[in-house]
Amino acid sequence: MAEADLGPARRTTRRVRVIASAGIVGAVLLAVLLVPPLVQLDQQAVDLAAKLRPPSWEHPFGTDDVGRDLLLRCVYGLRVSLLVGIVAGLTATVIGTAVGALAAAFGGWTDRVVMRLVDTLSSVPHLLLGIFIVAMFRPGVGPVIVSVALTHWLSTARIVRAEVLSLRSRPFIDAAVSGGASRGRVVVRHLLPAVLPQAGLAAVLMVPHAMWHESALSFLGLGLPTHQASLGNLVQTARGSLLAGDWWPTLFPGLFLIVPTLALAGLAGAWRERINPRRRSELML
Amino acid sequence: MSTAPGPKAPMSPASDSDTKPPEGSGPGPKPPVLSVRGLSVRFRMRGGRHIAAVSDAHFDLAAGECLALVGESGCGKSVLASALLGLLPGNARTSGSALLGDGTELLTADERTLARTVRGRRIGLVPQSPAAHLTPVRTVRAQLEETLRELTGTRGSAVRPAAERAAARASFPAGHLDRYPHELSGGLAQRAATALALIGDAPLLLADEPTTGLDRDLVERTVDELRRHTDGDRALLLITHDLAAAERIADRVAVMYAGRIVELADAERFFGQPGPRHPYAHGLLDALPERAFVPIPGMPPELGALPEGCAFAARCGRADDRCAVLPPFDGRLACHHEVRADGEEPVRA
Amino acid sequence: MLELTRVTAGYDPRDPVVREASLSIAPGESVGLLGPSGCGKSTLARVAALLHRPYAGAVVLDGEPVRGWRHAAPRERRTAVGVVFQQPRLAADPRLTLRELIAQPLRATGRRAEVPDRVAALAPAVGLTAELLGRRPHEVSDGQLQRACLARALVLRPRWLICDEMTAMLDASTTAALVEVVESYRRDSGAGLLAVGHDRVLLERWCDRTVGWRTVCGAGGTAQESMSPTP
Repeated sequence: MAEADLGPARRTTRRVRVIASAGIVGAVLLAVLLVPPLVQLDQQAVDLAAKLRPPSWEHPFGTDDVGRDLLLRCVYGLRVSLLVGIVAGLTATVIGTAVGALAAAFGGWTDRVVMRLVDTLSSVPHLLLGIFIVAMFRPGVGPVIVSVALTHWLSTARIVRAEVLSLRSRPFIDAAVSGGASRGRVVVRHLLPAVLPQAGLAAVLMVPHAMWHESALSFLGLGLPTHQASLGNLVQTARGSLLAGDWWPTLFPGLFLIVPTLALAGLAGAWRERINPRRRSELML
Repeated sequence: MSTAPGPKAPMSPASDSDTKPPEGSGPGPKPPVLSVRGLSVRFRMRGGRHIAAVSDAHFDLAAGECLALVGESGCGKSVLASALLGLLPGNARTSGSALLGDGTELLTADERTLARTVRGRRIGLVPQSPAAHLTPVRTVRAQLEETLRELTGTRGSAVRPAAERAAARASFPAGHLDRYPHELSGGLAQRAATALALIGDAPLLLADEPTTGLDRDLVERTVDELRRHTDGDRALLLITHDLAAAERIADRVAVMYAGRIVELADAERFFGQPGPRHPYAHGLLDALPERAFVPIPGMPPELGALPEGCAFAARCGRADDRCAVLPPFDGRLACHHEVRADGEEPVRA
Repeated sequence: MLELTRVTAGYDPRDPVVREASLSIAPGESVGLLGPSGCGKSTLARVAALLHRPYAGAVVLDGEPVRGWRHAAPRERRTAVGVVFQQPRLAADPRLTLRELIAQPLRATGRRAEVPDRVAALAPAVGLTAELLGRRPHEVSDGQLQRACLARALVLRPRWLICDEMTAMLDASTTAALVEVVESYRRDSGAGLLAVGHDRVLLERWCDRTVGWRTVCGAGGTAQESMSPTP
């Protein structure tokens, strides 16, 4: 019924998009989870005799400037980037949901103070804020996660607050209050379940965003230590060779960043269409 | 009470009534504005289920006539309206026919024809919630002018006075033309929507629950205005669950139950003496607070799981074995047990 | 008694929708409050149901002045008043089945154990079958959903019932059926009723007395004046 108002052609394209996205995301997860334990190769193995080789059967993605296999480096890099993306995305969503829901549920002064804080933080470019945070720590995965998470809960908090505010004035909340529900019960049983689909969507969209931020920080040399493979570090170290006309050390890490990002966004889009109430408004009976 | 069926009650399929002339005020010399024959709408649901939202509807609507289609919410009356406008969702299948006076077949017309020549031009829709029907970010004047340009081809300096005339026709005060929909009261929003519906000079006005949630005074004013526009050439199909509104303006009443029209009668006869013939219609009137205020027991059946025979039998005090067979609609009634007041002639021709 | 004295309430202190409204209902009495839509009668109903804090005025419930509204009101006070709203779609949490919807107040007040018995008793009273109880709001009609909302309002056996345009969206038969459920509950429990609406014929048929919105908001006038006796 959700698909009732779409033409068959649009329905097919949508289905293809969802299947392709899910396939890519699945492949990416399999690769980063299975390749490192199964393939007993050292991604750090330096082979100076084979540096900057273009793609070949032996090295499908070629080698970097110290002869490391780029395919392997990319998989490891994606692993780190994805870890940062997922953990930071989830943390940001949890913080944002909690702050937004509490601000809206309490209202009054709490709401005003919290939302002004959110506005203030939002007015600072968040990459700048992120750089400020990582700069306080020694480079590593932890600080990058903290930096990305602490700069990305703001939009989620806004979305959740708006959603809760619109729900709070609904008669069904009145009915719960009149039925004796405590403040906590109203939030936990009636308000949060209603905003979870939105918050979940925000979380999925946050993962690729956080991956890009990790890459950006690493690219600027502020993220992960350079020996650790991450997509940002790979692109950063490949910069020099690009000027020499060696395209593969930049292209493949770049694709590893872009393709999973688009696939995740595709899945999130399908999810958004599912939770969109207008699509669910079945018959006019 | 007699339980005998009318002598003419046919035991043949309902399609027999295809050739019957419409009851009541009659079509006169002109063809009916709308002629619906055997209209059915089925929704295909997940898991191969089907919902019979409208089954085998027959009625004619003559020029100058107001037909009220009444029934509980969920009986299929809004689906019928959407079918006439070609606004059903993709999983709906229609059968039968719905002919406009000029011969346009509404059920098979493609979207292009419906959009360019039917909606607004041959069927004017008065919506259920006018406030939601009007574009919130544009003034009433802007919307009237746009519709005028679109439907009548009025251009240039002629548009402004034409918009004012269109507003005046629906008694919309000229002083409020530059307001936005949210600045209008419910009654004025309703008039603005009516003015829009009238611009195309469509011969058929279709009002889908135009009075839901309105105050009694406003209900009366709204339906009176709709009636006023149902003059010589124009017909009004009023779809409503508000029996008082129907009583006020309708010439004829069609009662819908579980997707079927179960009774079609002159309004005067239906609301006055001798009253409705179908036990369901009888129950509906008895439920009014100005009458007995007694509900019909039970609830209507699901349109996805209709019984074999009469859909009302489970709630009907007169039901017996005969009700296991679906009573055919003979042009005025679909029931094995006609409700008849004493002294009434058994059957009208 | 449920007494509202010179209540001023609304959503903007500079422009309250209810000004100086007074109304009182005796135990077991049914009062119809008649007014055009948008006049503020729903706001007054929410004040009476302890759901909306007024800017000024006094509310006395069962002889005790009301000092807090919404969560600031003690739970026993809030649950002494059952409320049915105009639009069942908005008044029902879309994720709950009708059974959970009806049981919700029992769960919220820690009376989970009573759920099976109360739901089993109320569902047939409001005309809901076991099959309907398992459905969610989008799978039932407005009328069926309003039946569930009425059952929810009755599940804690309130001493007062407030029906805010309960039947405005419903057809004649469902209206009569729901009014009958309310009246039979009142016969058994002796609960008082405030029925808010715009349909004079309905309210006069339903209630012991009907007061107009102008009378309620009249300059300090009490609700006892200008009522229309009903048969």
